[in-house]
Amino acid sequence: MTTKTSLLKVILLGDGGVGKSSIMNRYVTNKFDAHLFHTIGVEFLNKELEVDGHQVTLQIWDTAGQERFRSLRTPFYRGSDCCLLTFSVDDSQSFLNLGNWKKEFIYYADVKEPEKFPFVVLGNKLDVTERQVSSEEAQQWCQENGDYPYYETSAKDATNVAVAFEEAVRRVLAMDERTDHLIPTDTVKLHRKPRSAGACCS
Amino acid sequence: MSAWLSAVCGGITHRDHAQVLFEHEGVFIHPGSEDQGLEPDLLVSGSLRIIDKDAEIMVDYRPLEDSVDPTNMLCAGKDSSSVVEWAQSSGERSAQLLETQQSYETEWDMINAVTFRKRVCANGEGSLQQQQQPVQERSRWAFSFGLGDLRSVAVKEEGWTFIIFRLKESSSVLPPLHFHQGGSTEFLDSLRRFAMLTESADDVSCLMVSTPNKALSQSFENLLDDNNFGLVHKFKKDPYVTTLGGFSKVTNYIFDAFRGTEEQHQRPPEEVADLLGEVIPGLEINQQEEPGFEVITRIDLGTRPQVIRGSPVSVEDWTKQQDQEGRMTNVPELKHAIFKGGLCHAVRKEAWKFLLGYFPWESTTEERKALQRAKTDEYFRMKLQWKSVSEEQERRNSRLRDYRSLIEKDVNRTDRTNRFYEGLDNPGLVLLHDILMTYCMFDFDLGYVQGMSDLLSPILYVMENEVDAFWCFVSFMDQMHQNFEEQMQGMKTQLIQLSTLLRLLDLAFWNYLEAQDSGYLYFCFRWLLIRFKRELSFQDVLRLWEVMWTELPCQNFHLLVCCAILDSEKQKIMEENYGFNEILKHINELSMKLNVEEILQKSEGICLQIRNCKDLPQSISAILGLDSAVSSPGLADPGSGPALRTAHRPDPCSNGLFRETSSNNKVAFIS
Repeated sequence: MTTKTSLLKVILLGDGGVGKSSIMNRYVTNKFDAHLFHTIGVEFLNKELEVDGHQVTLQIWDTAGQERFRSLRTPFYRGSDCCLLTFSVDDSQSFLNLGNWKKEFIYYADVKEPEKFPFVVLGNKLDVTERQVSSEEAQQWCQENGDYPYYETSAKDATNVAVAFEEAVRRVLAMDERTDHLIPTDTVKLHRKPRSAGACCS
Repeated sequence: MSAWLSAVCGGITHRDHAQVLFEHEGVFIHPGSEDQGLEPDLLVSGSLRIIDKDAEIMVDYRPLEDSVDPTNMLCAGKDSSSVVEWAQSSGERSAQLLETQQSYETEWDMINAVTFRKRVCANGEGSLQQQQQPVQERSRWAFSFGLGDLRSVAVKEEGWTFIIFRLKESSSVLPPLHFHQGGSTEFLDSLRRFAMLTESADDVSCLMVSTPNKALSQSFENLLDDNNFGLVHKFKKDPYVTTLGGFSKVTNYIFDAFRGTEEQHQRPPEEVADLLGEVIPGLEINQQEEPGFEVITRIDLGTRPQVIRGSPVSVEDWTKQQDQEGRMTNVPELKHAIFKGGLCHAVRKEAWKFLLGYFPWESTTEERKALQRAKTDEYFRMKLQWKSVSEEQERRNSRLRDYRSLIEKDVNRTDRTNRFYEGLDNPGLVLLHDILMTYCMFDFDLGYVQGMSDLLSPILYVMENEVDAFWCFVSFMDQMHQNFEEQMQGMKTQLIQLSTLLRLLDLAFWNYLEAQDSGYLYFCFRWLLIRFKRELSFQDVLRLWEVMWTELPCQNFHLLVCCAILDSEKQKIMEENYGFNEILKHINELSMKLNVEEILQKSEGICLQIRNCKDLPQSISAILGLDSAVSSPGLADPGSGPALRTAHRPDPCSNGLFRETSSNNKVAFIS
C-alpha cells in the first residue's frame, strides 16, 4: 500500500491517416515508423507516468478511423476519461471533421456533461511543410468548442507528444478534484478510486 | 423498477424457470430485536436460497410455513419501522394464490408473484389487509432480490453468525439473518460463485458486492442486434444460448473473485452506472422463447485425429493435370493436394487465377487468352474513368475524393517492408493505388474500405500484373464483400458463427470468454476482416489463403482456423486470468507469432473431429456445410466433383463460376 495508481482511459479519435497510431506508439514506445500499418479494429497500449505527484496508468485506445468501422469502434468509447481529437495539419478535411468526431464520441461514450468533458485537440504532422490548417484556425476552433487545450504535434520527431498526454492527464485529474469537492458522496468515490499498486484481494 | 416488476411477474408462472442453487434451512429473523415492545424471543425461522431464475441470480428468504404464529407476526409487522413493503402482482392472482397456499409449490409461486418495492413503510401503514392475513404474515418476512441489486453483505458475530444485506437503494433495510444452525460460510461461498465479494475498505466485516460488467458486452449485443438478419435473431432468441450465457456468468464469476478488487477499479464509472441499469433487461430474453429450439448439450467430440500436412504442389504436379488444350483435369484431386500442402511459389501466378475463380477450371488455354483480352479491355475502360476525372470534377465528388484520399494514405501503409512495396516511388505502390481506384469504379457503392489494400497486396505480389491482379482481387472481394459493407453484416455473421462453433468445441473456454464479456469474440475482428493478413508473415498468408480458396475440407474453414488459434491461446488466457482488455491485447499481440502449418494442421484436425461427431447440432452442420449433398466433394470422394462443374457453361465475361460459388455460400450463411 505504498503508492496509489489511478487508471485513466484516453481515446484517440480522428480521420484515417492523421497519425493516431503513430502518436500512441511515439508516446509509449518512443518509436516512429512512417510505414506502420493502418489500424484495423481496436488496439490499446498502457503507459505509466507521474503527473504532479499522481501516479497514473494511462490506457491509450487507438481505433480505425474510417466511418465504416463505426459500429465496431464506438463500444470502446465507454468509460473514457479523456478524448484526444486528432487531425493532421496537412489535411484540412481531417480538421473539418473534428466536430463530427466530437459528436460521435459524446454520443457513444454516453458522456453525462459534454460541456465539461476533457477533450484535448492534437494537430499532428507538424513536420510536414505543406500545411493546410493554420495554428490560428485550429486554436479558434478549440476556443469556440469548449476552450480545449491545443497541441501541434509531430509523432515523427516527437514534438509535443508527451506534453499533450500529460496535459490530458492533468485535465482529468482536475475534473476529478472539482467533482470530489462539489459532491462528496459515495457515488463519486466509485469514480476512479485509486487502486493500490500490486495489491490483490486480501 | 417497472421493468423489473413486469419481468418478475410475467416470468414466474412456470416454476421450472427457477433453479435452486443453494438452500439452507434454519436461518432466523429476530423480528423484535429492533423494535421496542415486542417479545424479544420471537424468532422467525426460514430458509435461505440462491436461485437462478431466468438467468438472473436471486437471493430468496422465506419463513417456514409452520414456524410462526400469525398473530404474533401481525404484531411484529405493525410496529416495525423498517420493514420492507411487498406488493401483490395483481389482485386476481393473489386470490388464486390464497386458495392454494397450503402447498410448497404454490408458496413458491407466491414468492415469485410478489415483488420488492424498495420502500420503507411508515409505522403501522403497511399494506396489511385483514382477509389476507395468513399469507401476508408469512410473506411479511420473506424477501427476495436480484443479486445485481445487492450492495453489500455485513457479516457479524454474536455467539452465532448473522448477516445483513444492504441493497443499492440505500433506504431499504432488510432484517438481519441469524444462522443459528450454521451455514453462513457456505452461503457466502455460494454467493461468491455469482458475484465478487470484497472487503470494504473501512469495515472488514462488510463485503462489497459487485456483479460483472455488462455494459460493454451490451454494446456489442447491440452491434450484433439486427432483426433483419434471421440468424442473429435466432441467436438472440436461442434459449440455449441465453441460458448458457447466464450459466456461464454464474460459473465463471469465481474467476472474478480471484481477481480481487483490481479489476473493479479499472471499470470506469460510466460503465458501473450502466451495469446497474442493465442487470434487469437481461431477464426479458427468455420471455418470448420459441418452442422447438435446438438444445445443444455438451457433446463428446471424441479425440482429435492427427493430421499430416503434405508438400506443396509443384509446377510439374500442376502441368500434369492439364489436358492438351489446357483444361484442368481432376480438379478435386488437385484441390485436395493444394489443401494439404499449398502451392510452390512458381505455380501461384497461374493457380491462383483458378482458385479465385478468375479462370474457370474447365476452360482451355485459348478461352483463357480470350478472357484475358476481354478483361484487359474492361479493366482499362474502368481505369480511364477515374483517371479522366478532372480536379474540378473531383471537387464536386466528395465520395471519390474521400476514396482517393484514403487509398493514397493506406497504400503508403501497406506491407511497406515487403520488397515489392518498399522504398519511395516503388512501382508496386502505384499499382496498388491504381487497382484500388479502379475497384472503386467497378463497385462504387462499396468503394474503398480500409482492409482492402491488405487483401490486394498479396494478390498483386503474386500476379505481378495489374489486370490479372485486379480481376483476382475482384473475385476475392466477391467472397469478402460482406465484411466491408455499410452494415458489416459479414463481420457480424462470422462472429456469431464463430461463437457458435467455439461453444461446441470448447464450452469451458467459451464460458470463460463469456464471463469476461468477450463471448462475442470481437477480438477476432481483424482476423476475420482481412483473413489473417496481419497475423501471419507475408509468405504464410499466401499459404493460408491458397489453402482456404480450395473450399476444403468444409465451408467456412477459416472459422475453424480461428478456433485452432484460440485453442492454442486458451490455456494462457485462462491461466493468466485475462479480462476483457487483456484478452483483446493478447490476441492483437499474436500478430506475426503464429505458425501457419501448425494452425492448418490443427484446423483440419478440428474439422475431422467435428465431422466424426454423430449428433452434430444442426447449427454447426449449417455453418460448416456438412449436412447435405453440397458438402465438399474433395475429401470423401475425389472423383465426384467435375460432373457438377462441367454442367455449368463457362461464361468468360461474367465470372459466372465464382458467382455461383459465392451464392452457395450465401445460402449457407443465412440458414
